[in-house]
Amino acid sequence: MRFFRSRLSPPILLLMPAFVIIALVVAVPLLFSLYTSFTGYRLVQPASLWQWVGLRNYQRLLTDVDFWWAFGRTVLFLTVALNLELVLGLGIALLIDKLTAGQRVIRTIMMFPMMFSPILVGFQFKYIFNDNVGLVNNAIQSLGWENVTIPWLVNPITANLAILMAEVWMSTPIFAILLLAGLMAMPRDPIEAAKVDGCNPWQVFRHITLPYLMPFVYIAMAIRSLDVARAYDMVKIMTNGGPAGRTELLWTLIARTGYQDARMGMANAMSYASILLSVYFTVYFFRKLAAARRTMGGVE
Amino acid sequence: MNFMRGIQAALFSCAALGALTAVASAEDAANWGSFPGYTLKVKLIGGTQYEKLYTRIPEWEKATGAKVEIVSSKNHFELDREIKQDIASGSITWCVGSNHTSFAPQYGDIYVDLKTLIPQATLDEFVPGTLASSMVGGRLVQLPRVTDVSNLYYLKDLYENADNKAKYKAKFGTELAPPVTYDELKQQVIFFSNPPNLYGTAFAGKDEGMTGRFMEIVRANGGDMFDENWKPIFNSKAGVDALQWFIDIYNAKAVPAGTVNYTWDDIGQAFAAGTLAVDLDWPGFAAFYNDPAKSKVAGKVGFALSPLGTAGKRGGWSGSHSFSVTEACDNKPAAASLITFLTDYDSEMLEARAGNLPTRTKAFADVVEEFKKSDTPYMAEMFAVWEKSLADARTPPLVPQWIEVSNVIWPELQAAIVGQKTAQEALDTAAKKATQIMEDAGVLQ
Repeated sequence: MRFFRSRLSPPILLLMPAFVIIALVVAVPLLFSLYTSFTGYRLVQPASLWQWVGLRNYQRLLTDVDFWWAFGRTVLFLTVALNLELVLGLGIALLIDKLTAGQRVIRTIMMFPMMFSPILVGFQFKYIFNDNVGLVNNAIQSLGWENVTIPWLVNPITANLAILMAEVWMSTPIFAILLLAGLMAMPRDPIEAAKVDGCNPWQVFRHITLPYLMPFVYIAMAIRSLDVARAYDMVKIMTNGGPAGRTELLWTLIARTGYQDARMGMANAMSYASILLSVYFTVYFFRKLAAARRTMGGVE
Repeated sequence: MNFMRGIQAALFSCAALGALTAVASAEDAANWGSFPGYTLKVKLIGGTQYEKLYTRIPEWEKATGAKVEIVSSKNHFELDREIKQDIASGSITWCVGSNHTSFAPQYGDIYVDLKTLIPQATLDEFVPGTLASSMVGGRLVQLPRVTDVSNLYYLKDLYENADNKAKYKAKFGTELAPPVTYDELKQQVIFFSNPPNLYGTAFAGKDEGMTGRFMEIVRANGGDMFDENWKPIFNSKAGVDALQWFIDIYNAKAVPAGTVNYTWDDIGQAFAAGTLAVDLDWPGFAAFYNDPAKSKVAGKVGFALSPLGTAGKRGGWSGSHSFSVTEACDNKPAAASLITFLTDYDSEMLEARAGNLPTRTKAFADVVEEFKKSDTPYMAEMFAVWEKSLADARTPPLVPQWIEVSNVIWPELQAAIVGQKTAQEALDTAAKKATQIMEDAGVLQ
């Protein structure tokens, strides 16, 4: 006790349990997985945990073309998915905000896609885009193009678009809800004042509503950029990264390496390389958030 | 008088029934052992087609006094992942696990050699080849529950159609009949194909399904996946020809373009919808295809043996679902008793009646008789064809690295099929990756 009294201040002592818990739950597993990325750890051979291979896993990654393709594709997927979800979510939020009756019902209906497990969404979109018995091709054939069969999940562009569509369908409501919360919390006075001063609706949106919403946008972006890895289940079901790696994203590649191939050391090395991506997106969005809040301060 | 006789007969029947029940119970107790109060923890494969067998578990519980606690019930890929996590965390606290001949070599020595637990007389009742495929490194690590091997399903009306027959004869100079070789199969699926309403066939185009079908044709062409020193040799001429077979039917649009993303369910649904002429598939689909409530082709399905390759052989890609007992189990006799019970004659008949291939020799013969007597010649015919193909059945290479090797092969096969690479390029790349895996594992020097 004397040790604690003499060396540690009360605030540090009080925070100690939180530090210990976070260390146990987050830091230790992170450090452990970092260690395993320097080993030849195979999930089914516990003894391989002590097989130190130095930088071999990382060296192999640097020359692994499939990994870098998956890395690039994931960056592109994240960028396009987040922006599309933002634009659609913003549009939906603005429309719902204008509703004077039935807003609660619409809000509830809008959240339906969020209630589905990503695996079910994967099965649903796999069926929709099935080239033989799928809904889309059947609809096209019913409209008169009887000999048209589009291999949606095979062509490199349409396969990625199909996955993107499933992701956007499932996750746009998250943006819409967060942005709607921002819109509902927004003070009406500046808008009224702008209208009195003769601003048209576009000017009101561009110079008042949007700057006010930007902190919400960046918070939503930061959360979603980390959360979008949930799309793993959908990709796994719809294409499992194929055909020929055309839809391979980091998550499918890492999960296959770690769990099916049981090469957990290599999978962790891949994960650490891809953590850079998450760190970049998070730092970027938090910087933007800080900037937006400063701008907001200026507006106010 | 008659009334009294009736009562006497009824009383006698009741007494006889009671005595029989007592005998049966005594026999059960004697057969399956006595483990009163013991709780046996098990991890079993889930899914409708697998869970029917588990309805027999209460019988075993009653006979032995033990309880079965199903601690996990998942599809096999998830179960495989969970078992690997258990191995990694050293937390194998369960006794019995579902297994599969393709997965078993990966698990090292976590499962016991069942030859030490199950009497030889019991093991002798299993189909010898199936039991041999259940061995890993000379140890019987699993007791097979059902076997899988593929043969051809085809739409009979297409083959019996006079117009089709005439056109086929005019084009190829031979009678239209179910294919005997892969070359004939290719010729016929291209002949029948009339997209988008009818395709010749479809194949599993990803995961182990793709690698397995490829392996089947490689072996039928006289090649193999590895040589005797575990050096990958599937990029041989036999391998290139096998891959070219897939490329040719894909380019001829005899398969749906999306087949490279199909797995078994997609193919099953497509054949049941009447959009495929021929389907090389597992026995479990037979009952589904003939069920008018679920299938448009019910009553129109014929069977033929899987085709021969250029070497005049069948590939016979085969595997068995099975049960294993863990080394960590604290009551191995109870665990061995349960898995023997779940693969005994009655269990195997239950599996066979549902259309699965049983693993006990006697069940095979008896179920065919039963189907004939019960006026279901369709299933009897199916079993007859499948039983013939068992002679050529072969498992994938029983080496722990198989799934990992499979995972570098199928993306390359896909790349060749969709035209990104030539067959030789794709197979050379896959062989290079597979060689690295075998070298890293210390299997190949």
